[in-house]
Amino acid sequence: MRFATHDSPRPPQHGRHSEQVILFSIANQTFAVAAESVQEIRSTDSLAGAATEIEYQGVAKVRHMVERARRTYYVVNGCAHFRLPVSRPTLALILRDFRVAVLVDAIERMAEIPAVYPLPRAFAGEERAWYRGLTYIDDHVIPVIHPGGFLTRDELDRLDRAVRASQAHQMQGAIQA
Amino acid sequence: MTLPENSAPNSFVLMELGERRFALPANIVTELAPPVRLHTFPHASPLVSGVIVRRSRIVPVYDASSVLTGRQASVHRFYLIARREFAKGSELSAIPVDGECELGTGTMQPPPAGKPSYVAGVLPLGEESLDVLNFEVLVTSQPVNAATHPNSQEAQP
Repeated sequence: MRFATHDSPRPPQHGRHSEQVILFSIANQTFAVAAESVQEIRSTDSLAGAATEIEYQGVAKVRHMVERARRTYYVVNGCAHFRLPVSRPTLALILRDFRVAVLVDAIERMAEIPAVYPLPRAFAGEERAWYRGLTYIDDHVIPVIHPGGFLTRDELDRLDRAVRASQAHQMQGAIQA
Repeated sequence: MTLPENSAPNSFVLMELGERRFALPANIVTELAPPVRLHTFPHASPLVSGVIVRRSRIVPVYDASSVLTGRQASVHRFYLIARREFAKGSELSAIPVDGECELGTGTMQPPPAGKPSYVAGVLPLGEESLDVLNFEVLVTSQPVNAATHPNSQEAQP
């Protein structure tokens, strides 16, 4: 019996095209996200002044929101989202097509990936919403983030309602004062 | 070890997990792979421990030990790769095993009462009687705590 010492997955035949990704880490776990789906990368320090705390605790992974270009972005804690050990995020990835800023520990590098492999069907939990698939870089299998998987439609609606209610309450207080 | 596509219906792959041996129908087993690197990432599928890359494919790994013995698989093991059927198509799937596997033939008997649902039957082999596993049921079972597992010594009074 002979065993191969090196093996790498064959790119899928359908939808095969290379793409540029950002490799980032949360709690020592590496993830990839399509570079084109990230609008801006900011340090958490630079965002701190612009962040507003959210009193609503119904979506535990979101504690703050930030206003950018007249748009409200909900700040998702990456550790809480992926159920990873608590870490110290230093950066926020502000997404392009979703009102989400994700707290991450570090950017590792940019990379060009030849393909995104489908997530095996054995993975049947929430990860099907988290990931677009898997990629293979430097002998590592890395999950490729689905940018729309950080908050569900229902979570966004609940956060929007809570924020509107809070703003209305503050305005009412200001008028009475 | 690579198995022929059309194994005889009474052929079984005999594998070792913990201190027990189990049997899988040979017609769903494709190969015994070496202890290659297990890649892990966050997910919420209870029995899946990660993926391996084998023959240019990404293959999910199920920690069958946690169901069969109540203990998680150790790191340096072989992987038995079998085909799991889904409603649409099938998928190669791996389970870590403790050593080399062997091929055995025999007639499967119905499972005795009280066996877990992942036991499709028993295979008498000499003085030994091995549980024949239903792969589909096994990989969709819930992991069992070692202290409460019926095959665990910790569960003995």
